[in-house]
Amino acid sequence: MYEVRNLAFSYRGRQVLRDVSFVVSPGEIVSVAGSNGAGKTTLLKILATVLEPDSGRIFVEGADALARPVKYRRQLGYMPENPALYGDMTVKSYLEYRAALKGEKDKRIRRRVSEAVEICQIGDMLKSRIAPLSFGMKRRVSFADAILMRPKILLLDDFLAGLDSSARESAGAWLSTVAAFSSVVVTGHEIEDFARWSTRILVLSQGEVSATVEAAGASGDEVVRRTLAALKGVNQ
Amino acid sequence: MSPAAVTFKRTVSSMFSLYSTAFAFAVFFAAASVSFVFGIEAAEGTRMPLAALWCSSVSPVLCVLPALAGMGVWSDEKLSGTLGMLLSSPVRERDLVVGKFLGVWLASVTGVVVFCAASLVSLAVFAPALVADVSIVSFAPAVAALLLQGMLWSAVTVAASAFFTRAAAAAAAALFISAVLPRVVWNGARVFSGFDAAEFGEMPLDAHAFDMASGTFSVGAVVFYAAFAWLSLFIASKKTALARIAGAASSASRFSARVSVFLAASLACLAASLAWRSGAVLDFRPGGADAVRFSARTYSLLGESRGGIKATLFMPRKDPHFKTAAHFMRSFTAMAGSAGGARISLRYVDPSWDVGAAGRFARLGIKPGTVVFERGGRRESVALGETFSERACASAVRKVSSSVARRKIFWTCGHGENSFDSYDAWGMSDIARDLARDGYENTPLDLSSVGQIPADAAFVIVAGARQDFSRIETGRLDAYLRQGGRLMALFPGSEIASLSSLLSQWGLRSARQAYPSAKTLTGTDVIVSEFSDGHPVTASLAGARIVLEKPLSFLPSAAAGTAAGLAQFTPLALVGNVCVAAAAERGGGAGMDVSLRPTRIIAVGDDGFVLNGQLEAKANANRDFFLNSAAYLSGTDAIAGADTGFGRLVSGLDRREMRRLAATFGAFSLAAFVFLSALAAKGSGR
Repeated sequence: MYEVRNLAFSYRGRQVLRDVSFVVSPGEIVSVAGSNGAGKTTLLKILATVLEPDSGRIFVEGADALARPVKYRRQLGYMPENPALYGDMTVKSYLEYRAALKGEKDKRIRRRVSEAVEICQIGDMLKSRIAPLSFGMKRRVSFADAILMRPKILLLDDFLAGLDSSARESAGAWLSTVAAFSSVVVTGHEIEDFARWSTRILVLSQGEVSATVEAAGASGDEVVRRTLAALKGVNQ
Repeated sequence: MSPAAVTFKRTVSSMFSLYSTAFAFAVFFAAASVSFVFGIEAAEGTRMPLAALWCSSVSPVLCVLPALAGMGVWSDEKLSGTLGMLLSSPVRERDLVVGKFLGVWLASVTGVVVFCAASLVSLAVFAPALVADVSIVSFAPAVAALLLQGMLWSAVTVAASAFFTRAAAAAAAALFISAVLPRVVWNGARVFSGFDAAEFGEMPLDAHAFDMASGTFSVGAVVFYAAFAWLSLFIASKKTALARIAGAASSASRFSARVSVFLAASLACLAASLAWRSGAVLDFRPGGADAVRFSARTYSLLGESRGGIKATLFMPRKDPHFKTAAHFMRSFTAMAGSAGGARISLRYVDPSWDVGAAGRFARLGIKPGTVVFERGGRRESVALGETFSERACASAVRKVSSSVARRKIFWTCGHGENSFDSYDAWGMSDIARDLARDGYENTPLDLSSVGQIPADAAFVIVAGARQDFSRIETGRLDAYLRQGGRLMALFPGSEIASLSSLLSQWGLRSARQAYPSAKTLTGTDVIVSEFSDGHPVTASLAGARIVLEKPLSFLPSAAAGTAAGLAQFTPLALVGNVCVAAAAERGGGAGMDVSLRPTRIIAVGDDGFVLNGQLEAKANANRDFFLNSAAYLSGTDAIAGADTGFGRLVSGLDRREMRRLAATFGAFSLAAFVFLSALAAKGSGR
């Protein structure tokens, strides 16, 4: 169980997040929707420990995650909004480096990499240098990096940005594969896509969770309609 | 693999795929080469050890390498956004910092080692004379010294890079901190303190490089580099951790970080200060690298000393000369051990800290700035001043270790001889002081009033008598020689009839006129460079020169070829075929009237060659010739090594060859740049 409780964050006097709380069960995919500047990226950065919150706590299986950040990060996979990769490395060497940095044993690194590569379908670009890859391809590599260690919690920021239509079609399959071992929190603006995969959609507005749309058991159109209504309400 | 190791590996591969690294190496090699070549030129003829010269030349430019090669270790991560990816990894900031630091340090290590190899190869090709006596191992302390300094500069670079998003700004900051700031602070402190340069001492970073390259690793210096490298890495780690802090908690977190950095800085200063005050020193001299070189005479004197001797360097540790004196004394004690002589244990007494020992010395009237040698109740002190020398220390050791009373040298007087206690240019006080240091007691001898020459005489000197000796006086000298006595006769460029007559009975005969030569006709000096190889007095003077003024010449006398045939005449110094200094010896069994102790006589055709005025011109071996003669006569037979240039830095390069050496280094820098650029191009896929 992954629980976020009363998270708050301010930057230069502006309250970016306030009292954000939610729970993600194992195998669940929770999408966070919201207009630009709603605080989605900031929320994920805090969950990924790239930023420290002003207040609030994060629990993993009941344990205070921020009290033992290194242990928490071992259970974490994070894909940032902009893929930050080392352009001078090949895809394979980059993923091997990341696996080693995340503490994987040498003899298991290869297996981890081939597993992630298979899920993300980037096997044909393993020997390519990262710098000349397209934005979409870099996003895939970044996703492979995030799922490399079969994390318990997977944080995907603006997940579908830059992916072509076929990759978007495949994204659902990728997510259902990783949801087998992860609690997934994903952000973005693609409500229709989210409606298809998510178990829940959180609508974030001005730093607060303004609405929660349960997607499990509901039809995609219904989920989209309710989410858009929540977003519209917020905007009004 | 640990996170630090993974980060290290990544840092290294990243660095060597950048053109800036190739540029950094090229700049370092070029700057170090220029500095080293100029250093060789400036140190030509001095006794500066080659490894220390090399280290001192490279040290000031070393900071360029880590600053330019490692400037982007953090700032590039910030600029490209990969810092967030690192911060979300299950790794502590300190592991990341340590990994990056090790990567940058490896660049320094590579640069230093490659440059060392290049220097030795270049010198072997262009200046083989310089490296003829140098073992590669002797460069190990110099390389270790640079690695220690490189460690600090690498840490400073990592810290500077953590503060800037632009790598160039980080490099500028690192260079400012490591190259400019220490020198500005030091020179500023010196100017405003009112002390002159000698009192204030050397710039510490330069002094450390020289000391460590000579094998003297002060624990204070080592801890200083380690502590401030640690502090720099601590600051880098804190700065990286602060990258997570942007919200309302930022001011509190920043305040907390500043307090912890302040505490860490205090701790580093405290550690360095305590280590400095301990005065502990680590000697690391593989193959005796750059130890102080002593003359063969000192080696011989120390070899004759016996027993356990306590040597105490009594001076404040903050004294600018402390390190030099300590280095000298460590080499001195080490050499006494290797010469098979006395076991000298060295200790340091700082008047400010070791109050008990300092009080004892004060009661004995010994002032700070003195080396005290003690054995049992015997004590000799040598002041650290202009008169401090290896000879003074060796004499002190010999005096405290010797179980017999001082040997006496009797200087005849009353015939116009040069005075051994006269300090003017025509006196011999200078050489008399050397004799006193060697354990002799200089005593005047009036042959007309003394009944017989005392039996404890080491030898008698007749230093330039202008008037004849009376029959009685000659008889007393003869009686003394018959009992195995020893005589040194210095002729004033002309014959003394009575003395010449006496000497002719003992195997040598003086000519009536001074030796004429082209030089004598145009000036007055005769330069003698031809010596007897086999005689103890001159065996070590090969390659040296003595300068005599209008010397008298000597020949073997008929007595040398008498039936006894046992008076052995040896020409010591020759100009062509003319002997201007000679030795005669008549040993045991020469006759009923000769004791078992051999009689020895040395005659020199000039009485002025060791006058104070002559000895001022130190470009000759006159002093060594005289002291060797004294040792031979007294039976010590300690041989002095004349200054034949041993240990001096002689490159043998003229201006053109020096330029060629510099060009080789330049070509090497260019080659390094091309190679590393190719590596970078391959690494970056261009």
